[in-house]
Amino acid sequence: MTVVLPEQKFPGRILPVTLPAGPGGTPVTAGGQNVLPFTPEGERPNPPAVGMEVRSGVEELPPALDAAIGKLARDPVALSRRCVDDWGARFLFLSLDGCHPDAGGRSVADGAALVRELLAATPAPVIVGGCGDEDVDARLFPAVAEAAPRPVFLSYAEEKNYRLVAGAALAYGHGVVSWSPIDINMAKQINLLLADLGFPPERVLIDPLTGGLGYGLEYTCSIVERIRLAGLSGDAMLARPVLCHLGDAWKARESADASEGSWGDVVARGRRWEEATGLACLSAGADLLVCRHPGNVARLSGAAWR
Amino acid sequence: MALTALEIYKLLPKTNCRDCGFPTCLAFAMQLAAGKATIDLCLPASEEAKETLGAAAAPPLPKVVVGTGERAVVLGDETVLFRHEKTFYHPTAIAVSVRDDLEPAAFAARLAAVRALSFERVGQRISVDLVAVRCVSGDPARYARAAVAAAEGAGLPLVLLAPAGPLAAAAEASAASRPLLAPPPSDLGAAARIAAERKLPLRVRARGIEGLAAALPAARAAGAKELVADPAPETPREAVADAVQVRRLAILSRNRDLAYPTAFDLCAPFPDPFLAAALLIPKYGSLLVLDTTDPADLLPLLTLRQNVFTDPQRPIQVEPGVYAVGNVTPSSPVLITTNFSLTYFTVRGDTEASKTPAYLLIADVDGMSVLTAWAAGKFTGESIAKMLSGCGIEEKVAHRTLILPGMVARLSGRIEELSKWRVLVGPQESSALPSYLRRLPPAAFLPANG
Repeated sequence: MTVVLPEQKFPGRILPVTLPAGPGGTPVTAGGQNVLPFTPEGERPNPPAVGMEVRSGVEELPPALDAAIGKLARDPVALSRRCVDDWGARFLFLSLDGCHPDAGGRSVADGAALVRELLAATPAPVIVGGCGDEDVDARLFPAVAEAAPRPVFLSYAEEKNYRLVAGAALAYGHGVVSWSPIDINMAKQINLLLADLGFPPERVLIDPLTGGLGYGLEYTCSIVERIRLAGLSGDAMLARPVLCHLGDAWKARESADASEGSWGDVVARGRRWEEATGLACLSAGADLLVCRHPGNVARLSGAAWR
Repeated sequence: MALTALEIYKLLPKTNCRDCGFPTCLAFAMQLAAGKATIDLCLPASEEAKETLGAAAAPPLPKVVVGTGERAVVLGDETVLFRHEKTFYHPTAIAVSVRDDLEPAAFAARLAAVRALSFERVGQRISVDLVAVRCVSGDPARYARAAVAAAEGAGLPLVLLAPAGPLAAAAEASAASRPLLAPPPSDLGAAARIAAERKLPLRVRARGIEGLAAALPAARAAGAKELVADPAPETPREAVADAVQVRRLAILSRNRDLAYPTAFDLCAPFPDPFLAAALLIPKYGSLLVLDTTDPADLLPLLTLRQNVFTDPQRPIQVEPGVYAVGNVTPSSPVLITTNFSLTYFTVRGDTEASKTPAYLLIADVDGMSVLTAWAAGKFTGESIAKMLSGCGIEEKVAHRTLILPGMVARLSGRIEELSKWRVLVGPQESSALPSYLRRLPPAAFLPANG
């Protein structure tokens, strides 16, 4: 007996977006598919790619991360080399959180210098994240855009700062990550605003805000699915690759608290917490994942077949 | 496929007799189409109409119940592909395996480990749902004893993973507890007859969708009615692809021959059970059997399940009240927010990140976020003033200064009017709390004079 399997065909296609690499590096292309994940029909030229976050700030690491990257935490350049060379990260997400007044308060010039240094040290594609302080970021993004000797992506452009971030990115040929707080209408709105500025659509990624496992992950999964369905159904402003940054998984008490004996080993649990967060994002349709645990690069890439 | 109101209307008597309680047959048809009424309200309806509409109203994915009483597990009975379309109703059931050939002490220890896989999260208990007893001994008497002991020891419904002989023995010993029979593919016929005779649910295992398309009718022909489909994948990738296909066959094709709840045996030698489980929870697995009893594996999976199966229309609420964050003192700051779980966790996380001990007042607004609750008239000057005097915070701190979410700054006047409290307007976004709290002058929280 032959079973006729259903197919879900869509009129739209996710725009392919490429994170450029330096000389000798491998660029990462995301998107290009015209189907949902885990289905046999349709085309999906680019499997999801997994990158790693490297932070410039000083912080107390959860035990699982401390065991894995603690020795390198104060040397972002050395850490990024290992991410790419040893752990298989396809791209890097450099967070300049060290420029935040509460996380070290390094100067904007310092942040820009780190970007230059890191880009010289590795040819991997790079996304540069701001520090989260509105005033500092307003100076940081233009400085980074100018300092970067090759194209990167700036993360992130949102409703308040998109002119500034997109302007800086346009002037120096970079891409942007457009951010919205788990809200499909705002995700669309910010991409419309970017389009109005004349920002090239093939240089825009969507960051829908990724909640950690147990702390709003279900909202992220649903918003990623809705963005993807809208994009495939023909909404060009949402037909963009989706980036899920798994950093919030490490803010969960369950991923870092060693005091609860009944929860199992905190090192194994922390790593699983991030992994489960990433797998749920993949199941919803995420195209790019950013993780922090070295072991999870291979784990999540291993599920990135769709 | 679901019928439209007009299609349903054509099947009705069109007499507008009103006996159903609706003014016209068309109005009743619209209610039927929306799933808000059932055909049995229409007494004069023809047999044909009843049959057609009854079939159309049955859930596209049938419901299978394993176990009895409070711990009974419901599999299937889902209606959508994406949770935002409505909700997912029946959480992926998780079974942990135990072998029947273990020494008594090891057997008891294993069951104790299964029992311990139960955690409290946001006011809900999340636990492993079933114990799966795997026949390794091949001895029917021993297997039946193990099954009974496992059900008692774990206090959970059973999955019986065994060939026909031991399965028959265990089914006889434990039929009253409604175990799920899970024979190997070679023993399907014999097991289906046991299931039919004892009216028990049966897991049908066969390779891939094509395999199930042959095995499921065979099980039905033998009289088994409540079926669960296991496509016997060899990799996580196959598992997810098969689960997606079965769900799409049920929802999109309304294929009644293949639409059953899915089960996956992720025990050795299945590669990478954690990865498969984390994908099958959001993507349509109804029952997963796992070998691990490590809480570092199960707590993430059970939490993921809790997330995915939360009704998008009914957010998880946090118990309203006073929450202390850090080592609070009578001069710690007091912040108020609402009992929407995400709001609470965000504010709590950001308060913890500030390293400033503080009290959080969680207002009862039926689980809405701050702005939504304000717009709905549930987070008002009156309700906040009432909470300040009634929740016990006035005995815990010596000062009377409240930090109000910046989004509802306009409530400050009313709160100060109705209570003894002074209001500081906090940041609009919770993410700004760490720097806000660190910069607060301590003098703001000195004891109030008089």
